[in-house]
Amino acid sequence: MTDEAMVRELGRLLDPERVLGGAAAQRAYDCDAYTVDRSKPTAIVLPESTDEVAAIIRWCNENRIPFTGRGAGTGLSGGALPALGGVVISTKKLTKILEIDIENRCLKAQAGIANKRLSDAVREQGLHFAPDPSSQTVSTIGGNIAENAGGPHTLKYGVTAQHILGLTLVDPQGEILQFGGKIPGAPGFDFVSLIVGSEGTLGLVTEAWVRLTPLPNAVETALVSFPTVRDATQTVADIIAAGVIPAALELMDRGIMVALEAAFGLKYPDSAVALLLIECDGVGERACDRVRMEINQVGEICKANCAIDITIAQDEAERQKLWLARKKGVGAMGRLAPSIVTHDGVIPRSKLPEMLDFVYEVAAKHNVKVANLFHAGDGNLHPCFYFDDRDPNQVEAVVTAGEEIVRKCIELGGSISGEHGIGVEKADLMPFMFTPDDLRLQAMAKEIFSDGSLCNPCKVLPNQKSCVEHKRRWRGVAW
Amino acid sequence: MSQLANLTSQCIRCGFCLEACPTFLETGEETESPRGRIYLVRSAEEGTIAWEDARMPLDLCLGCRACETACPSAVTYGEILELARDRLERRPGFSPKRILLNVLARPSKLRRQLAFSKFLPGRRVPWIVSKLLSGQPPEADRPELPSEIRFPPFEESDLPPLKGEAAVLEGCAMRVLYPHVNEITRRLLRRVGYLAREFEQECCGALHAHNGNLESAKAMRETLFSALPQGLPLIVNSAGCGSWLKESARHGRVYDASEFLLEHGLAEHLSQKGHLESVVTYHDACHLAHGQGIRMEPRALLKAIPGIQMVELNEADTCCGSGGIYNILQPRMARRLLERKWVNIERTGATIAATGNPGCHAWIAQAAKEHGETVEVLHTLEVLERALSG
Repeated sequence: MTDEAMVRELGRLLDPERVLGGAAAQRAYDCDAYTVDRSKPTAIVLPESTDEVAAIIRWCNENRIPFTGRGAGTGLSGGALPALGGVVISTKKLTKILEIDIENRCLKAQAGIANKRLSDAVREQGLHFAPDPSSQTVSTIGGNIAENAGGPHTLKYGVTAQHILGLTLVDPQGEILQFGGKIPGAPGFDFVSLIVGSEGTLGLVTEAWVRLTPLPNAVETALVSFPTVRDATQTVADIIAAGVIPAALELMDRGIMVALEAAFGLKYPDSAVALLLIECDGVGERACDRVRMEINQVGEICKANCAIDITIAQDEAERQKLWLARKKGVGAMGRLAPSIVTHDGVIPRSKLPEMLDFVYEVAAKHNVKVANLFHAGDGNLHPCFYFDDRDPNQVEAVVTAGEEIVRKCIELGGSISGEHGIGVEKADLMPFMFTPDDLRLQAMAKEIFSDGSLCNPCKVLPNQKSCVEHKRRWRGVAW
Repeated sequence: MSQLANLTSQCIRCGFCLEACPTFLETGEETESPRGRIYLVRSAEEGTIAWEDARMPLDLCLGCRACETACPSAVTYGEILELARDRLERRPGFSPKRILLNVLARPSKLRRQLAFSKFLPGRRVPWIVSKLLSGQPPEADRPELPSEIRFPPFEESDLPPLKGEAAVLEGCAMRVLYPHVNEITRRLLRRVGYLAREFEQECCGALHAHNGNLESAKAMRETLFSALPQGLPLIVNSAGCGSWLKESARHGRVYDASEFLLEHGLAEHLSQKGHLESVVTYHDACHLAHGQGIRMEPRALLKAIPGIQMVELNEADTCCGSGGIYNILQPRMARRLLERKWVNIERTGATIAATGNPGCHAWIAQAAKEHGETVEVLHTLEVLERALSG
């Protein structure tokens, strides 16, 4: 089928204005926020209902055309990459909140709404949607579900999976299925948990019931600088050992400070090599006193670990300012180089100092530049490599260095991904972590929903049919 | 590396700009988002796609620069857009857009045209003009020449001693459509001790710069700066002009009227001498909020007026669709954004909507007219002056 014919035929299934084709659209949708691999779709569709999604997927099945779901395109592992071309199904016309149930603390929304808009809608009622990936102002709830997104506050509140009560899924054949609902704890197998984090390979989620969590009425936030990374990571270990569970516990290294200074003029002590952002929060009557005590205890631990400077926010404006360092740290790196790749390995907290030393070592060995900002509290690393994506040698070096870091994470008893997903980025690295039997079991789980390979092909599981030969086409050289 | 290649390469595709972009909010399309447009410009510059392929997405961009506010990498989108549009418009031959710009930039011509257009049927921009410029039916009303507004003489006892002189940018649209706003600017300056000195001035080139005609825009700006009397601050009451003038290397003397007046004590003056019983909401003109980072100043001045109840507008800094001449070049999208703005304004329950740019002013006033004039649309400075002189 020619490109034009495909656009024309899809235009019969939904308003032709919501079917995009042509050079500009194909280019714009050829990658998400993971830019190492790119592959063009033939057409992009923007359905406005679950029924339209189902019709599109059935049409793709009839014509044996691969399809890939996409939310805001802020994913960091290439989950929305149309790896084998075909159709990109965007959820950005599915952006409504369908029902709010304050009494039962949940709401139902369409998949394409931005994460933060959920919290905005119920803030006056003292509630929020707790998972808060750094991209929360733009990333969609559908994308968060696909990647089982985390965020700074997952240390205390858990990742997306803990906040999804029910789903509407259009499966890879175009059947509309319902799982779960607003009442948690339905008997039988828990398909919601299987679908959350399946990276759009089991179909397209179009609607979800999400859990709402009370907004903490007491929050204390501190930004602390340290003379060495080791002092900062030791502080993290000591805080957890003392029995304090902060809402967030984030570490940023010198590279991030340099970027923040370049982008926003934020200044940090000259001798600071690592920053810790620590937030404690609580709900309830005596929360203020309790949280104040916690942050003081944290302050003492920081001092004992040679902290240079401890800033505790006195009001919400100051708190937002301290958070800037974390929320905009990665974006600020755009000042340093045209592209970044953010890795996502997880390691046991106790291994943090050793792991960071290794990251710097690997970066130096491959002559790539790296900065680190990550969820230290749960051992979820985010080494950010920054480079020029127009130079194939740099791309190669970044990919190789990344693989070495991921292997080290596994060696230290960790995992290859904490919250960004496997996507195309790490599919080939899965065998380092899983045995062939493990992987076969995962493939079988996928087969419950689909026997074909049209739905978001080449993602998560390695060595999928016709993906291996395409891989070269995606990577760097073909841009 | 070319300037465009360099500027566009600063985008790391994080996508944080998406929800700030009015055209993305309306369409949900990546091609109509800042990230998408930057990528297309970069691709055209690198030769991966043809420049013509990038034209439609760039045409549909309002140039509101809300994406710059959202961008963590400090990508200068406005600059990218100006350069890319300049690249696209650099083709010889008949250009209706260029003719329109030339009329708008010459107040005497514009005034003559508007006087003549009274005899045309209907209230919209002529159909044929709209078709020629946008290929779509018109949405914007033809502006009407205002009737003269007289102000009461000052009470000399109210005025502080003179501190200095200032120049006022009269603006092309402002001079023709809202001449009283210029008069009000002079009056408010006097109220904080500054005497407005007149100077010979032509168009500052902002509209040209924002529509792909950089070279003439820069020449016009230079001429303006050269005519500006030595040492005088330049007070601007049109957001688009102010933003463009501040981009120049000689920007040190340019102030938006609200920032200059606040700095020189108008808020204190208002709280002592002013009074206005009204519910007021404020719409951020893009070239004030995103272009110049001016948000607090107009609000602080309005809030200083005794009797005023300020209600914050939802999506206050989302473009209303006016976008200079955008509502003539892209009527359909401009209309969608105007309706969105109007719904938000109505929800505030305000009786006055204030804003700091003639384009937004006229466009939102049109919506007010269409919806039964329940809200009065005014320039921020008009509200301030009304509170002082009744």
